[in-house]
Amino acid sequence: MRENYRRELKATKAEVVDIGRLIIDVTRDAVVSLVEGDLEVAQRVIDGDDEVDRRCLALEERTLETIATQFPVARDLRLLHSLAHVSMHMERMGDLAVNIAKATRRTAYRRGPQTLYDLIRAQGNLVHRVLEAMLEAFEQNDLDLAYKLKELDEPIDHLFKQFFRELARLTDEDDIEWASSMVLASRYLERIADHAVDIGERLVYMVTGEFEAMTEHEDLSEQQCDDQGSPGA
Amino acid sequence: MTPETAAPCANVDSSALVGEAKFAVKGLDFFYGDFHALTGITIDVREDSVTAFIGPSGCGKSTFLRCLNRMNDLIPGTRIEGTITLDGEDIYGPGVDPVDLRRRVGMIFQQPNPFPMSIYDNVAFGPRLHGVTKKGELDAIVEEALVRANLWKEVKDIMPRGGLTLSGGQQQRLCIARVLAVQPDVLLMDEPCSAIDPTSVQKVEDLMGELKESVTIIIVTHNMQQAARVSDETAFFLQEKQGEAAELIEFGRTAELFTSPRDRRTEDYITGRFG
Repeated sequence: MRENYRRELKATKAEVVDIGRLIIDVTRDAVVSLVEGDLEVAQRVIDGDDEVDRRCLALEERTLETIATQFPVARDLRLLHSLAHVSMHMERMGDLAVNIAKATRRTAYRRGPQTLYDLIRAQGNLVHRVLEAMLEAFEQNDLDLAYKLKELDEPIDHLFKQFFRELARLTDEDDIEWASSMVLASRYLERIADHAVDIGERLVYMVTGEFEAMTEHEDLSEQQCDDQGSPGA
Repeated sequence: MTPETAAPCANVDSSALVGEAKFAVKGLDFFYGDFHALTGITIDVREDSVTAFIGPSGCGKSTFLRCLNRMNDLIPGTRIEGTITLDGEDIYGPGVDPVDLRRRVGMIFQQPNPFPMSIYDNVAFGPRLHGVTKKGELDAIVEEALVRANLWKEVKDIMPRGGLTLSGGQQQRLCIARVLAVQPDVLLMDEPCSAIDPTSVQKVEDLMGELKESVTIIIVTHNMQQAARVSDETAFFLQEKQGEAAELIEFGRTAELFTSPRDRRTEDYITGRFG
């Protein structure tokens, strides 16, 4: 029954998975550009964002058209609504990767303390793990894996906090502007992982029809950031 | 009298019923001679709301609808088991006059069926049958029924004209006015929009929204978007295997049933995977 419609639902989901792969790539490239000070890779990430935006917008239009013409209900409706939502998250993840690449532009002129690069690299690896898990959960409708995303996200937040502690050790001779760009990049990485956890929540709704918040919105408050960054912290 | 609430079965959401139960159906089985058509139907229909019955052809939804005003009594060899109460009173109990029951529980059919008489006489037919003879009184009843059916403005100047001269959509609203003229508590609508044009469908659907303030409406429809648009609660019926009795699979708030149905069979049907 409704073969074309079924095919369209599958194809729309496959497109979101494809965009997800793209997001994993650009996030990885952005981190590489930052830790290696590679301006060329950074530029590639920045230039590639138009493609991510275009595909996310096209996907939103596609889901709207299907909703308008096919009157989806129940799991089909939840799927289409969720796909639009997920693509919105992915579009923002793409923007955050661009922000990291822009931080490369601001920091590549010099090498800073190795500890900070190591921290960013470690954070990038953990984010990569969350993104891979998110995409696999999403592709396979794997709820167990979706529930694990929160757990996988936790060490990323810890590394972000550790980043602040390392910053507190910087001396007056260190370049504060450089350090600010690095801390922002760490923050963007932490936000990318938060989006992945949100996609996991959306997946649970898509499959079960139940909204379940996995996060108590763990996003760090500005105050927390300040506390972590203050010399006494 | 407070009607008892239907015993909750797996996918019958009694919490959907925020108001009084107009109809309370318990353990209903229905037979056409040897053929067991419906089994174990337990459902409460809330007063002053719109309840939609959906399901594939042959799932017993129209049969069940006709149980609610004993229209099936007119078919030889039919019988029911279980109980159906209307405002707490067993409608199959001794001493219940089926004709009076059908005045309280009016019915609208798929094909508009005005009598071959004037618009006025169509609407006045029921009240006359129930003993209203005074012209002034009849005039008032006819006007009120036509106003409630959103047809008054279109026909007030052509009342002597034959009911059959109206368009299909107007004829359907004339039939609704004819039922409303005898002050029913419940309106059963069996595919009321499948034979009329889209503009008229819109008018009938709007009308249902207005009428439910004072009349309990139950609609059988094949059009799931219509069920989703007009009803507060939806019941899904299914005959799983040819020759077996049909069952009530799921009943609950319409918005919920169309976004997160509890039963996989409901989900498969409303998403067009079968039927």
